[in-house]
Amino acid sequence: MNPLSRTWRQRVLVAALTRRELVARYRGGLLGFFWSLVNPLLLLAVYATIFRVVFAPRTDVRPYAIFLFGGVLVWSFVSAGLIDTSLTFRANGPLLRKTPVFPEVFPAVAVAARLSHLVLGLPVLGAAIAFAAWRGSLAPGPAAFEFPIVLALLAATVWGFGLAISALALHFGDVRDLLANLLTLAFFLTPILYPIDSVPEKYRPLLRVNPFATFFAAIHETLFFFRPVAAFDWIWMAATAAVALLAGCYVFARLRDSIAEEA
Amino acid sequence: MPAIRVEGVTKLYRRYGRKRPGGTLKSAILSRVGRGVLAADFSVPALTDVTLEVARGEMTGIVGPNGSGKSTLLKLLAGIVQPTSGRVSVEGRLAALLELGAGFHPEISGRENIEINGLLLGLSRRQIAERFDAIVAFAELEEFLDAPLKTYSSGMAVRLGFSIAAHSDPDVLLVDEVLAVGDEAFSHRCLEKFAEFERAGKTIVVVSHDLALVSQRCRRAVWLEKGRIAADGPAAETVALYRERVAVEEASKRVEVVSSVGEGLAPSRPGRKARIGSGAAVVESVELLDAAGQRAGRIVSRQPAALRMRVKAAAPLSDFVFGYAISTVAGVAVFGSNTDIDGFVPGDFAGEGVVTLEIPSCDLAPGIYSVDAAAHARDGAPYDYRRDVLRFEVTADSPVAGTWNPERRWRFDGAIRWEA
Repeated sequence: MNPLSRTWRQRVLVAALTRRELVARYRGGLLGFFWSLVNPLLLLAVYATIFRVVFAPRTDVRPYAIFLFGGVLVWSFVSAGLIDTSLTFRANGPLLRKTPVFPEVFPAVAVAARLSHLVLGLPVLGAAIAFAAWRGSLAPGPAAFEFPIVLALLAATVWGFGLAISALALHFGDVRDLLANLLTLAFFLTPILYPIDSVPEKYRPLLRVNPFATFFAAIHETLFFFRPVAAFDWIWMAATAAVALLAGCYVFARLRDSIAEEA
Repeated sequence: MPAIRVEGVTKLYRRYGRKRPGGTLKSAILSRVGRGVLAADFSVPALTDVTLEVARGEMTGIVGPNGSGKSTLLKLLAGIVQPTSGRVSVEGRLAALLELGAGFHPEISGRENIEINGLLLGLSRRQIAERFDAIVAFAELEEFLDAPLKTYSSGMAVRLGFSIAAHSDPDVLLVDEVLAVGDEAFSHRCLEKFAEFERAGKTIVVVSHDLALVSQRCRRAVWLEKGRIAADGPAAETVALYRERVAVEEASKRVEVVSSVGEGLAPSRPGRKARIGSGAAVVESVELLDAAGQRAGRIVSRQPAALRMRVKAAAPLSDFVFGYAISTVAGVAVFGSNTDIDGFVPGDFAGEGVVTLEIPSCDLAPGIYSVDAAAHARDGAPYDYRRDVLRFEVTADSPVAGTWNPERRWRFDGAIRWEA
């Protein structure tokens, strides 16, 4: 059985553990679930202020704060999701060592929990877009409905990487450091701070080697420019997700038997 | 049809990237291009060629020292780890209690934890809902259901964990040393539950250091030693064999302890401070001498023996007492005396000295004994009191119950006749 079908068989447990993860994170806090709204709100406020008052706003993408916010919100899902998968087996050591649980569920839970955070924060982005539309600085269109599909493919990609990272991080101490550095690098090599069009044309194919570049270009398309995603981009994203899942499953399956021993 | 079948199972624990402590992916890749980055560095055998069948309804105990592979065997049966070679098959629904409450999360409520734990044990949501009240009632936690688990005492968590597992209706129940945690009343209820399972034809495999529990409750016991089955049979017999072996090992360990006493490495009994005192005088070493006057860890009952300690005074003393006490390893006092009791009035002691207590006939029964040695003031204030400073074994040709093996004669009057 491959890791994906094992996860599917345990979907009820994955859902329950994801809920536990969210509940445990927020319970006992003063603001509870509001934190998932407060964080992005603060971020948005900071961007709106900085790029109005400190930096000269870009002329090609306005309002830049909203442009930036959408990308950063999704990027925080990617980076936090990957980092969480690198920690998940250590965090769930007792369960892995002492119960016959499928280890596959943990990377899935880590990604699902971060995805839930993102989804809980999306209303803030929605409200910001609506506000900008009301002010007349954005013109939302039906292309926004393509965003959930982009997000689903992105989540599949993160899950695929997460499977490999979770298993590798257990065996090799430097995977986490490596990952943190790669994520910092990737943040700037992904069109988050800038639209992909502002990258000189000759470098663009190179940029697409970064598996996340196309996804973030598509996020800008659907949630900022409100243009449909190009067919090639769809194919590229689907292929990226498929390759990530296959590679993740391969690495995970190779190391699976020793997970309960090492955790 | 056996409920559990283990055929020729060997389990190696593989280690990755651990060639040097803190192995890294980078070093693994650099040092192993062409060899396969994901190959193991080395293996540690935990079980070697173990074959075992457990019949349905048979309560089986697994005994053996730490590191003998008991827990690995349970983990293999539970499917948590996979055998390196050989086959493991378990018939029916399985519940593993390797650590009570292993799946509990401290921040969420007991109610939510029951659900997650139930799912982990393979119950469906519906089954959990149906059994919820019974689980809570058995654990006696009705009032605390909605409190986060971190507010539970460890006893409460243990009760909840056992209750969920017991209500998962397993055909095979694997239990690892978990009953030691709960209070007396609850352990009793757990044992009752085991008996109930047994009557219902369910199979229970229990790993325990509680040999009394294994020999009383289990029908059969398996003794594991260094990853192999050393004995397998009726529980009482296996446990007796194992006990014998433990006694021999302990004795040989004491010999090593004796030789390390000089470096001040005294073994200590848990819960008691191994060494107390002001240090005005120091007991530097304690030795047991056998009949030949040689340093020994083992002596023969009713032969001469002697205890010898080297003492050193930090400054000249005019108030000093030297003493020895002997007790069984279980802590029962057997003998104790000192120079004061035996009528020596201290004059002065400066520098170094040797205090030897000669026992012309050591009438101790066969067994293992512990020695305390002390230098103290006449009012009892310790200069250097060393508990359990050495252990020794006493052997004899024939066994004796108790701790005393006196010279003895039997006499019979009246109409008692003996063969030959």
